[in-house]
Order: sequence, then structure tokens, then C-alpha cells
Amino acid sequence: MKRRDFLKLCGSSLLAGNWLARNLWAKEPSVVAVSEGKDYAQITRSVIDALGGIKRFVKAGDIVVVKPNMGWDRKPEFAATTHPIVMKTIAEECLKAGAKRVKVFDNPCNEPRRSYENSGIPAALKGIENVEVKQMEEERYKKTKINGVALKEWELYADALSANVFISVPIAKHHSLTRLTLGCKNVMGIMGGNRGYIHRDIEEALADVNSTVKTHLVIVDATRILTNHGPSGGSLNDVKVLNKLIASTDMVAADAYATGLFGIKPTEISITVTAHKRGLGEIDLTKVKLIKA
Amino acid sequence: MTRKVSNPEPVTRDSQRPLKITTARISQLLFLAFFLVLFVITDYRGQDEISVAVNSFFRADPLVLVSFFLASGAFTWLLLPGLLTLIFTAVLGRFFCGWVCPLGTLLDLVSGRIRKTAPLLLLRGNLKYYLLALLLFAALFRMNLAGLMDPMALLIRFLTFFLYPLVGYFFRQGWVGLYSLLGDHRDVLDGGYTFLRNYLLPFRETFYPLAFLSLLLFAAILFLERYERRNWCKNLCPLGSLLGLVAHFSIFRRLPARLCTDCGDCKEHCPTAFDSEVLQKSNCIRCLECHARCRFNRVKFRPAMFKGPSPAFSSTRRVLLTGALSGFLLPRLFAFKHPANESKLLRPPGVAGDDQFLRKCVRCGECMKVCSRNALYPASLQAGLYGFFTPIVIPRLGYCEYNCNLCGQVCPTGAIPNLPLDEKKKAVLGLAVFDKNHCLPYAKKLNCMVCEEHCPIPDKAIRFETVEENDYAGKKLVLKKPYIVENLCTGCGICEYVCPVEEKAAVEVFAKVKRKI
Repeated sequence: MKRRDFLKLCGSSLLAGNWLARNLWAKEPSVVAVSEGKDYAQITRSVIDALGGIKRFVKAGDIVVVKPNMGWDRKPEFAATTHPIVMKTIAEECLKAGAKRVKVFDNPCNEPRRSYENSGIPAALKGIENVEVKQMEEERYKKTKINGVALKEWELYADALSANVFISVPIAKHHSLTRLTLGCKNVMGIMGGNRGYIHRDIEEALADVNSTVKTHLVIVDATRILTNHGPSGGSLNDVKVLNKLIASTDMVAADAYATGLFGIKPTEISITVTAHKRGLGEIDLTKVKLIKA
Repeated sequence: MTRKVSNPEPVTRDSQRPLKITTARISQLLFLAFFLVLFVITDYRGQDEISVAVNSFFRADPLVLVSFFLASGAFTWLLLPGLLTLIFTAVLGRFFCGWVCPLGTLLDLVSGRIRKTAPLLLLRGNLKYYLLALLLFAALFRMNLAGLMDPMALLIRFLTFFLYPLVGYFFRQGWVGLYSLLGDHRDVLDGGYTFLRNYLLPFRETFYPLAFLSLLLFAAILFLERYERRNWCKNLCPLGSLLGLVAHFSIFRRLPARLCTDCGDCKEHCPTAFDSEVLQKSNCIRCLECHARCRFNRVKFRPAMFKGPSPAFSSTRRVLLTGALSGFLLPRLFAFKHPANESKLLRPPGVAGDDQFLRKCVRCGECMKVCSRNALYPASLQAGLYGFFTPIVIPRLGYCEYNCNLCGQVCPTGAIPNLPLDEKKKAVLGLAVFDKNHCLPYAKKLNCMVCEEHCPIPDKAIRFETVEENDYAGKKLVLKKPYIVENLCTGCGICEYVCPVEEKAAVEVFAKVKRKI
């Protein structure tokens, strides 16, 4: 073979090989489903169905943790906590898929009994068999090795660590330090100890914890959002009713989309950017498949 | 003159016989049960309003009523039941001590098991009237100390600060211990413990200051039983003395009014009133023991004609004068307040001035029991010795929850006003101040903002400046530096509570003190 032909063969096979490698073993693009409507139970079901249905995430006999935001002593209309109807529907869907138990809990920033009670979530879930809403208990936190950038180890709730499925249901809110609090930040509810400590390096700390605890499904509650004075809120003037839900298996993509609801670009939220850099998901919405449920 | 108690022949003493079931005894047990039930339900139970008047025992307490009236010069309808108690006492006699008082009931229940020696003659006589006079005159001279010696306040403080936390601790440690043994298998017992935790035990593990003192005071009263039955009730209790004064002129009388010449057993049956041959009217607590045990069925309680004034106790003038003088001077001994303590003296929401507050507070402990976020603790010396057992806020241990107004709902005298929620949210406890030597963005160029995050004021009483600075290595950095908006801050203390700085909270709530120069 002539040298020139050999070189042409090498070059084209390199290119072909590259193309093959990139496309045959390429990752599937993240999918973000968005639903909108006034019937919150119905839009919850449709947004989960748009991702392939609950059976994609929950198998028969699973123990599922559905982690809402029950962190503040505020009634649902103040948009500081996850909407009870959304929580109820998710719990019901998990049970329909054959979940053995659905556990709902949060580590509140206000008085725990008041926060639980006024969120309306325990009342909505009352009486449903195999659904337990309990206060978190000191002895169930486990010292967990994280070996991350900001955190070496931290106390994480044993029930969240041992669950088969972890579904995160944050509410989309304004936050002064991080500008917004969405899916990536919701994981703070399973952390114990002096959580205020992590705020000095919150982007890396959250990425550390999210790298340790996998969220299988995140459903961002944007039925109503808190546009200012978050995360505790307290004024109805800061609440904007959107009637939307955003679901994804990719926490970063879901957050990136939710950021747009506040008129902010995803790259302006440092938590999302850091999470993306750490490989937790896709921040560029052009690379994400969007489904309107 | 009193006969020294001695028994040449062995006789089963009444104090060792099983308790007789009289109507009075049944009433006592019912009221004790009621008291304990009210104690346990004085708590946040899922509703913003507390239903039953858990403070009803204090509202019906005439000592609270009289001292409140003397100290603040006003009457509050909250204490109307106390007036009713006085009126009933004027008719029926000192029935409260024998039918209602939970401390009296407890003493009756345990007294039988305590070996008796001779009565302490030191306590006999007018000591209790000197004590009552001291308390009432002190109240008249603007120092309300009645709560320190009120029997029900003593009992509630013993329960709230000492017994209840320990009971909770016992069960909780057992529960936690089970987890280290059984792990998740412990869930089998979950229903039982959840029931206990939701309805019977304290929600949160809290240990109170002055717990030991509360135990000591209660134990001392029990210890007095060693000398005679109902020793406290008979010889010390200021509420009992007050009721006794009124009962001395009561319409209903016990007949016969003295020991029968052919018997004399009543001296043994009666726990309080037969020190001599003649029944002491102001000590008869209507327990009906004599009525139940009389072999001849001679004991009757009848309305009788008023026979003319007879003094309730001897040397009235001496008691009154000593009381007035000591009531005026003695409390001034304890009036010193260290300024360092004053600046951190935070009172429950709605309390206007400390002076007014101390005139009305009966140190009953109800507010501290009900506080949903455990912000309230009994003061020891922070408000001067005079402020013992009055509630103060310690924000680093518990803050005043924004949407909660339970303390005002349970206060029996309105010392903590029962403010509707929207007014309570505006009530100012103090003012938060940053210590920039510790606050992370100022002291260490680290971002934090946890305080601002938790500020419950919808407009946020903590705001921040966003500044670009160089960190210690010279790299550019954006810092958010918080500051307090003074006209919005209510001093609830949540910022001090959550501040993550470990050695000292970098933001602290200070009382708004008016300095007199």
C-alpha cells in the first residue's frame, strides 16, 4: 500500500472510531418533564407518567422515602413548604406500584411539631396504610463518611440511607445566600448536626452530600413559588401561583429549568453550577430533553 | 397550751390506719387527677389555641388574687374564680384545703407512710400569720412574692422543672437504648412509644435551672410530715392561712366545737384543728375525718348564728406591725440587680416593663411548661433575688416561635398578656445585635447568612450588603454581610439560636434597657 493511502486509512478510521465511540456509548440526554394545571393530584400523576411512570422508579416491596420540605412553621399558601396534595399523590402512586412502606420526614428549621402540623402534610397523609410521617429521631442519624471537597463526614438519617428509593420533593423558593433553593438543596433535610456550619461552603457541601445519597427522582413543587424573603417567607405578596410541577431523574436539569421560573439563568445559581461541575447532572437546557406533560 | 402527744397504751394511730373514703377524699382524688391531667395537656398539641383553662387552679387561688390586687392595684377578671373561692370559704369554711388542694391531697396520701415524731412547737402559734402578713405587705409595697410560697406553684414547679423532665429522660433513654440493641426492629414497639411521646411525655429533652431547688422545696414540705400530719398546711401555708382567716368567720360550723368529755378521739382523728380542747376554726379543713370515724355519730356541720367577733389569732397588732415593717423593708434587701444581667434579661412576649411584670407574676411555671420551643426558663439571680422562678428567655437554648402565643394563653394573672396572634407577632422582646468579632463574613471572610435565613419577619429584620473583597490570599470574593433593621426586629432570638459559630453566637438578643443616670 502506498504511504499516502495508509495515512488516509488511519485518519478516516480514527474519525470513524471517534464518532462511533461518542455515539454508541454516549449518555442518554436528561429528560425533564413539566406539567401544569389546577388539579394538583392530576398534574402530579401526569408529570410522573411523562417520565415513564412510577413503576420505573418503585418496584414491589420497596421502601420509599419521599422527602418534602416541611421545614417551616407556615401554612401551605405561604409557599414555604411542599404542597400536601402533591405529597399525597406521590405517596399513593408509590403504594400503587407496590411499595412496602412510604416514609415521609424532614428536619425542620422551626419548631418540629408546628412545622409538621402547619404544612398540612401529616393531615393529608393521615390514615393511608403503610405511609408513615414521623419526627426524626436523634438516635437514627448515622455518622456517614463523605470524603468530599467540603465535608469529610456528616450525620445523615439512617432511614434515608437505607431506603430503596429516594424521592425528593422540594418547593421552589427564593433564598438570600444561594439565591434560590430547589432540588439540590432539599437534601439538607436528611442532615443532622450543626447544619448552619456548611453555609460557608454550601455549594461544595451540597454536592458532597448529593454525591453520597442518590436521589432517584426529583419533583420540584412549583405549584406556587416564593419569589422573595425566602426561605421562611411569611407574606402572601411574595407568593406567585404557577400551578406547575417539574420532574426529572437529573436533579441539576430540574433545578436549571426551575430557575427559569424566577427569571434567572441557571448559570447564575452557584449551587447548580457546582453540582454540574461535580458530574451530578446537566445544566445546559439545550442538551436536555423537555417533555410537556 | 398543748399536750405533748404520748401514748402509754399501743393504739393504732390514725396516721397508720388505711385512709377512710369520705366525700372529701373522693373530691381530693378527683381534683388531684384533674390537676395532673391539666398539667400534662399544658402543651402544644397541634392547635394554636389551648382549649381547657389549664391554669384554672391558679385562677381560683385567692392568695394569687389578693397579692395581685395589692401589688398592681387592679382587678383582672381572669382571677374572678379566686373571688368565688373566697366567697365559698366564707360560707363553707376552709374546704379548699380538704377537698381541692392537690398538694394537700399528696400530703394525705404519703403521710401515712412517714413515721411521726413529736410536733415542732417552733412552727406552732402565729408563725404562719407573720409569714402571710409579710407576703401581703410586701405585695402592697409593690413586691409580689406570693408565688414563691403558693402551694400549687410549688407543686407545678416541682413537676415542671424536676419530675417531668426526669420521667421523659427515663423513657427516652430507654427508647434510645432499645435502638442500639434492636436497630430497626425497634419499630415494632413504635406505636406504644409514639403514644407516650405524643400524649404523656415532654416532647423535647429539656433540663431546667433551679430543678434541684424546686425538688428541695417540695421535699422539705414532705419532710415536715415527719413532725405532724399536714404540717405545711397547718403551720406554714400562706394560702391556707388566708383561707383560715376567712374560714374563722364562716357560716358553717363544726359541732360540737370542742372535744367531748367522754371521748376525745377527735384529737387523734383530726389532722389540723385540735391542738387543744377547743376546735381551731381557722384550721378545720373540712376533711370529714372526725365525721367518718365518730363512734357516737355526734359530729355535724351546720350553719350557725354569728356569735360575735373572736380573734382568729392572738397578738393581732404585733403581727400586723411586724408584717408591715418587714414587708416594706425585707424585699429591699433583695433589690440589687447587676447591670450585666439586666441587659440580657429577656421576658416573654407582650411584657411591658419588668417592674409591672414582677408585680403580677406568680411564678407558677405554666408558661415555662407550655412554651413550644422551650425558650422560657426560671430566672435565678438574673432579675435580682426577687425575680427567682420568674420566666426569662434564653435564646441560645430556645427562641420565641413567631406564630405561637401559648404563654399568654396560660398565664393566670395576665402578667404575660394574652395577645391575639397578629399583635404577638409585633411584640418586642429585645433587639438582636451582631458581634462582628465572631460573625463569619466580618471576622473570617466566610459567607453564612443562616441568621437572615431564619428571621421570621416577612420583611426580614436581618438584611445584607453584598460586597466584593479580597480574601486573605488576595483572591476576589463576594461576601454577604448581614445587618439588623432595628425597627423590624422583635428580638425573638431565632438568629441567636441558629448561629452556627460554635464558641459563641455571633448575633445576640439584648434587652431594651432604659438607663437612668
